[in-house]
Amino acid sequence: MDVNCFYASAERIFDPSLEGRPVVVLSNNDGCAVTRSDEAKALGIVLGEPWFKLAPRVREWGLQARSSNYELYGSISARVMELLARYSAWQEVYSIDECFLGVKGDGGDLLALGRAMREACRSHVGVPVCVGIAPTKTLAKLANKWAKKNKAFGGVCRWESVPVAEREALMARLPVNEIWGVATRLSKRLAAIGIYSIMDLARADPIRMRDKFSVVMMRTVLELQGTPCIPMEEERVGRDQLIFSRSFSTPIRTAGAMRQVMSVYAQQASARLAKHRLQAKVLTAFAATSYSNPADTSYPSVVVPLPMPTADPVILSRAAHALVPRIYEGLKYVRAGIMVTDLRPSGNQPPLQLFENAHEERHIGPLIEEVAKKYGRESIGLGVAGLKGGPDWSMKREMLSPRYTTEWAELPIVKAA
Amino acid sequence: MSLALDPRVIVAGVVPWLIPVAPVAVACGYPSPAQDYFSGEIDLNEHLIQDKTSTFIVRVAGDSMEPGGISDGDELIVNKALEPKDGSVVVAILDGELTIKRLRITRTGVILQADNPKYPPIRVPELSELRIWGVVTRCLHYV
Repeated sequence: MDVNCFYASAERIFDPSLEGRPVVVLSNNDGCAVTRSDEAKALGIVLGEPWFKLAPRVREWGLQARSSNYELYGSISARVMELLARYSAWQEVYSIDECFLGVKGDGGDLLALGRAMREACRSHVGVPVCVGIAPTKTLAKLANKWAKKNKAFGGVCRWESVPVAEREALMARLPVNEIWGVATRLSKRLAAIGIYSIMDLARADPIRMRDKFSVVMMRTVLELQGTPCIPMEEERVGRDQLIFSRSFSTPIRTAGAMRQVMSVYAQQASARLAKHRLQAKVLTAFAATSYSNPADTSYPSVVVPLPMPTADPVILSRAAHALVPRIYEGLKYVRAGIMVTDLRPSGNQPPLQLFENAHEERHIGPLIEEVAKKYGRESIGLGVAGLKGGPDWSMKREMLSPRYTTEWAELPIVKAA
Repeated sequence: MSLALDPRVIVAGVVPWLIPVAPVAVACGYPSPAQDYFSGEIDLNEHLIQDKTSTFIVRVAGDSMEPGGISDGDELIVNKALEPKDGSVVVAILDGELTIKRLRITRTGVILQADNPKYPPIRVPELSELRIWGVVTRCLHYV
């Protein structure tokens, strides 16, 4: 299952005036178009087109642009995933707008199930989705893509319900990099041995592909031939982790700046934990360089068990700083975050006096929160996080729609007139 | 003390990964005699929201539903998945805007009414010509 033009569709739920109009949603910092509605695609806007090129034509095209409203998309995604989980005990949430579901049944049943899922997403959440049904995950992705392209499927394509000749014609028509798991750079190496289309790959010898490429490639071939070999990965559902992660408007290049970022996230985590009366036992900190620059990649991460269940900003900051020595000076880090896990209600187990830490006794966390609430988020902070004017890596979102489902002050307005 | 407070790195990797851990609570001290009877405070979500995947909260702007008890500034609980019936208070899509009206289904057609007579009703021949966004189930009215 895959939501059509997810970000644009999420925006349209609460702003029906966007229906039938070209809509683009911009990447972090309003850099480029990351989601295009069908109307925007028809205008020839390509994925990743920079906003400064589109902006001059807004009026001419009637183009509607929105900044990435991650709060909204996260909330809509959670609703879609929860709804679809009702159709199968076996769900793998693959990304914010895609999931795999394990289902059994004969052709007619499966098609009916796919249509019911599609209808539920429309009536409950208000987003259009497409469903691809096949014996393997790779083929299910292909069927889904087909359902999206070819309107005759009505949004649901069961691979095996389509005559073999038509399936083979499709696979012969599509270049091999259109298949899940085959990157564009691999397609060059595949072309060198005469594999251009998906059909060519489906006809390849899996063992030979393993020897020439990798086990991953062999699996893709087997999956195209109908043998499932990419297992379902189930994820834990529930509120036992909090994640603070963000892309930066200006890449972070120094360990010192990363230290500052970690302090800020640790304090956000502390505030959130305190709000939900939770304490964490484990903190994970991570950072990543851009995927688009494969030459200088670095994806450091550390897992730090905390000395005791805590929401103390001092301890969380110190734990998050464990990432700092793993930062390569000079590389451009575009993303970083922390995650706190193994959450438990605070107060349930009063720590032994010995382990009660001094900062918690002095209520530093609540104090920082109180001052921040009164004088603003940038007015006070711990150590390097407390900076005047706010750190310059926070995100730019100038065309942001309201956070309709997560902020009481930003609820959708209904007109009574 | 300072040793216990010093977080140590035990795992370092290249990708962030999730650790599945079951929360375990260990009780200390004397249990309260009321504990056996306590099954949690009343949870409004449980009583006001039938299906959280399809329920949204919206805010009213305007006085067209005032006599029916829905005032300017009130919050409404809206279930998108409910089938609207005659008499339902609905959020309809009118000219690209979310608009609150009372739905009337009669033999001669469908009417979107305001409870406030100041606003004229809107008539449509068929329900299918209307775009209903959701059905209002509760009003959180300020008193």
